[in-house]
Amino acid sequence: MSAVVSKIREPLITGGKSYHDITEDLCSPTESVPNATWIFAFVASVGLLTVGLFCIFWTIWFGIGAWNLNRTIGWGWDITNFVWWIGIGHAGTLISAILLLFRQKWRTGVNRAAEAMTIFAVMCAGLFPALHTGRPWFDFFMFPYPNSRGPLWVNFNSPLLWDLFAISTYFTVSLLFWYTGLVPDFATVRDRATGLRKKIYNFLSFGWTGSAKHWQRWEYLSLVLAGLATPLVLSVHTIVSFDFATSVIPGWHTTIFPPYFVAGAVFSGFAMVLTLMIMTRKILSLEDYITIEHIESMNKVILCTGSIVGVAYLTELFVAWYSGYVYEQFAFYNRAAGIYWWSYFGMMACNVISPQIFWIKKFRRNIFITFFMSIFINIGMWFERFVIIATTLARDYLPSSWSYYYPTWVEMGIYIGTFGLFFVLFLLFTRVAPVVAIAEVKSILKTGGDQYVGKNATHAHHHAASHDHGHDSHDDHHAH
Amino acid sequence: MNNQFTFEGKQRTTLIGFIILGAICLGLSFLDNTVPYHMRFWSNFLHNTVFFTGISFISLFVLAAFTTAYGGWYVVMKRVWEAYSQFLIVGLLLMLVIIAGVWGHFHHLYHWAADGITDPNSPAYDPILAGKAGFLNKYWYTFGTIGFIGMWYFVFAVPMRRISVAEDTEGTTDFEHHERYRKFSAFFLPIAAFSSAAMIWQWVMSIDSHWYSTMFAWYSTASWFVSALALTIMTIIWLKSKGYYEQVTDEHIHDLGKLLFAFSVFWTYLWFSQFMLIWYANIGEETIYFKERVTNYPVLWYGNLVMNFVLPFLILMRNSTKRKYGTLILCCLLTFFGHWWDFFMMIKPGAKINADHAYHAAHSAGGDHGHAAHGVQGFVSGFTLPGFLEIGIFLGFLALFLYVVLGQLAKASLVPKNDPYLGESLHHHV
Amino acid sequence: MSAHKEVLYGLYDDEEIMLDAIRVANKQHLDIMDVFTPFPVHGLDPLLGLEESRLHIAGFVYGAIGTLTAFGVMTWIFTRDWPVIFGGKPYWSVPAFIPITFELTVLFASIGMVVSFYTVCGLAPGVVNPVLDDRITDDKFCIAFQTNGLSSSEIDKYSSFLKSTGASEVSSKVI
Repeated sequence: MSAVVSKIREPLITGGKSYHDITEDLCSPTESVPNATWIFAFVASVGLLTVGLFCIFWTIWFGIGAWNLNRTIGWGWDITNFVWWIGIGHAGTLISAILLLFRQKWRTGVNRAAEAMTIFAVMCAGLFPALHTGRPWFDFFMFPYPNSRGPLWVNFNSPLLWDLFAISTYFTVSLLFWYTGLVPDFATVRDRATGLRKKIYNFLSFGWTGSAKHWQRWEYLSLVLAGLATPLVLSVHTIVSFDFATSVIPGWHTTIFPPYFVAGAVFSGFAMVLTLMIMTRKILSLEDYITIEHIESMNKVILCTGSIVGVAYLTELFVAWYSGYVYEQFAFYNRAAGIYWWSYFGMMACNVISPQIFWIKKFRRNIFITFFMSIFINIGMWFERFVIIATTLARDYLPSSWSYYYPTWVEMGIYIGTFGLFFVLFLLFTRVAPVVAIAEVKSILKTGGDQYVGKNATHAHHHAASHDHGHDSHDDHHAH
Repeated sequence: MNNQFTFEGKQRTTLIGFIILGAICLGLSFLDNTVPYHMRFWSNFLHNTVFFTGISFISLFVLAAFTTAYGGWYVVMKRVWEAYSQFLIVGLLLMLVIIAGVWGHFHHLYHWAADGITDPNSPAYDPILAGKAGFLNKYWYTFGTIGFIGMWYFVFAVPMRRISVAEDTEGTTDFEHHERYRKFSAFFLPIAAFSSAAMIWQWVMSIDSHWYSTMFAWYSTASWFVSALALTIMTIIWLKSKGYYEQVTDEHIHDLGKLLFAFSVFWTYLWFSQFMLIWYANIGEETIYFKERVTNYPVLWYGNLVMNFVLPFLILMRNSTKRKYGTLILCCLLTFFGHWWDFFMMIKPGAKINADHAYHAAHSAGGDHGHAAHGVQGFVSGFTLPGFLEIGIFLGFLALFLYVVLGQLAKASLVPKNDPYLGESLHHHV
Repeated sequence: MSAHKEVLYGLYDDEEIMLDAIRVANKQHLDIMDVFTPFPVHGLDPLLGLEESRLHIAGFVYGAIGTLTAFGVMTWIFTRDWPVIFGGKPYWSVPAFIPITFELTVLFASIGMVVSFYTVCGLAPGVVNPVLDDRITDDKFCIAFQTNGLSSSEIDKYSSFLKSTGASEVSSKVI
């Protein structure tokens, strides 16, 4: 089969790789002894995780009073962090599912790592509501099952319960999707390994052989799962937004929340993918697979979603004025000029204003600026959730219950701990599984490799209008 | 292969016939004064103008978005969307009529435009609308409408079209035209996002002048998008039946069908989010909007969901239906008419209340004006449901739209010969 | 299952060469046992005459089961088993049931399809399938013929086919 690739497209795999080179490059991290950077990062992450575990233990031992929540501020850092992590967990499925449906080929370079990141981020997120219940050993009460308490059922009308369903479904489906993609790549690792490693990877690869019929079903499965995961990923942050928007609290009850939360989640998710991938490509020498082209594409998504979020911020602000509803107007006045003005400022500066530099191509293709911006955006998106949650709750309808919320060291420690958990898992993942999807990269080699497309292509066949469509004056690359 | 569309005399005659039919129906609806102040005429005029101008706008938006996203597959048929975008100037001219009406008080579409609404000493004083007067006033309405549609047309639609057509003859392998086209596209996206929201609030949301929803602009934009897609599919299939666009294969049609499916679901997502949140929180000022529609316009209300979600979802779920022209056209008709119906429901109930309010206010000097309008009402043709006149007007506007579009299509090759992505588009496989 | 399969196979270096070889094999009516590739090769399915997978139909059925389960259970609980009024809404609050119904639809469809996929492919943790060549998951494209009970002249025909169509290696194996 031939595929036509426009001459204007940039290559997605550089270095003139052959299929075998791809296997070598992408399998080698799982086969070598970790280098010093990895070990140092791993030890540091375990250290952070230990801090987190200690604070979790502290919370369980002394109760939720170890946090600075009070009667009006029922949600503080816990839910802020929960929404932040869940948001980060959106990029993986977006990249693998939505970009698969939209046939954006650049996704193959980053989808594997982004999906892994999704799964780890959702794990970090789930920790917060689980602890926030106060008695985590009773968390199974949240699931509807016939019980001896009445039978007293959970409240199916509550957005908090919808959230439980959404997040557990999202976690399960993301895991299945990710693992199904990994199976053929585990087989590749298996066939290069010997002894015990071969046994382990055969176990992990489920006995994959690469038979044509299996590939056919595998592609079907990937496509249908992508089709299912696309509305699913929209639904997750939509339902998170319902947690706020179904209420009658000014600043929370606004109909734009669902799509605006989703855009924000994609925004922060891509920022985290960039943070991780810029480090990973450097440490594992994957510059030929995660090219500047990939980074630029992701920066465009960031610019787009950042602007959508900006439109939503301004819409909210405008409609608060337009509504003629004093409480709504106060809520937004309070965000911008109240006690937490700095977090509103941080949110606007990091999320809306600073990403606008990506209008300039030079900045989109600059790794240092991209890395810096990706961290900036993650901070900004954390502020966004803090603005929505803490600012609003600290200035309730009733001025006598107004207070100023700040976290205790326990709350901070748990947040730090989730970074530990996240990085421990991610670092282990880079040693165990190929960080870039081997089979998928191979399947785009002939439409994305720099020996086939782009300015320096050597294998390109001159395409002499084998089809008659009038004036075919541009020679497209016909890669065979 | 015939890439040059000719707008035949017979087609012109047919379309002009329909335009005349639409004009007659529009005139007849002026005579129907069941709802006072010729509201049937004015609401029909606004409804169709907004609907078709929106389709024109969203086509330009789609072109800009696809270009910015390095899309390749759609290029072979991008001239259709370019032609759609040229209708904007006609939309602007039509909106001038509404603007004239705002200034001359010819209609009561907008309660905020009534005299004395911001004057505390006037019996018509409305404190809420006085608070919104910084946005809801005739100056903004005029400036926004002329300024924004004018900008969409003169700053983006016309130059982008010109660049694209020039590329046919002057295109080089440096793709200089494409680069310029890409720049216009990238700038249009954020500008369009803000300006379209501002305008849809003024044109449509402000009819229910007390009500507000932050989702509204995105929701109605999604509605425009699905309509534009449905019309595009039908236009392309029609052009194919006339022997043009042999290069547009089932693969392209399949992808358009997928988009129609996906965005019908997306529209439903926005519909559900907006409705559910307002239903759930149950704040009187917000629920009144839906309460009015569910109670007094049940056929519109449920019909909207059936036509725009249930049927297209069930029909288009299978892959094969996106490749069968028959079922696909059925879905396009459903969703095209369905989203026209959706705009009908956004505009008509509020317009009727406004007219009734104004009438009560004028005939019962002060007092409890117009609360009866919120009660259960009887059937009013052209409001409770589209009547024959509405269908005639719809066809008239559609014919006008197509007249402009086909005229534009005839002016350039149907296929952008030198577009850098044309090769990919011609070899597109699902 | 037959205990032993005698397999003759050729390894190709490029998928285009392999696809051309399959076209030749189809012309000569050679009965290909299976084809193994390191990644999904486009255009391979129609050449091998593989039927379209019905996985998505199964997915639809699983999804529909999920929809009915979720909506049915919530309806039963909130209208029959333990009706409670929440927020002044009716017992049977359809809009509030939509999110969970949607989630379970997706969950049932996904789990069902993934389980079906591994089941019909015969893949599972711990399964050891014979591998013809370790490089098939790397950069070799393999066409395999089953040769049980074939005469040596027939086997020669297969192996000369493989060699003449550009296979870089031809070997046989009992699996």
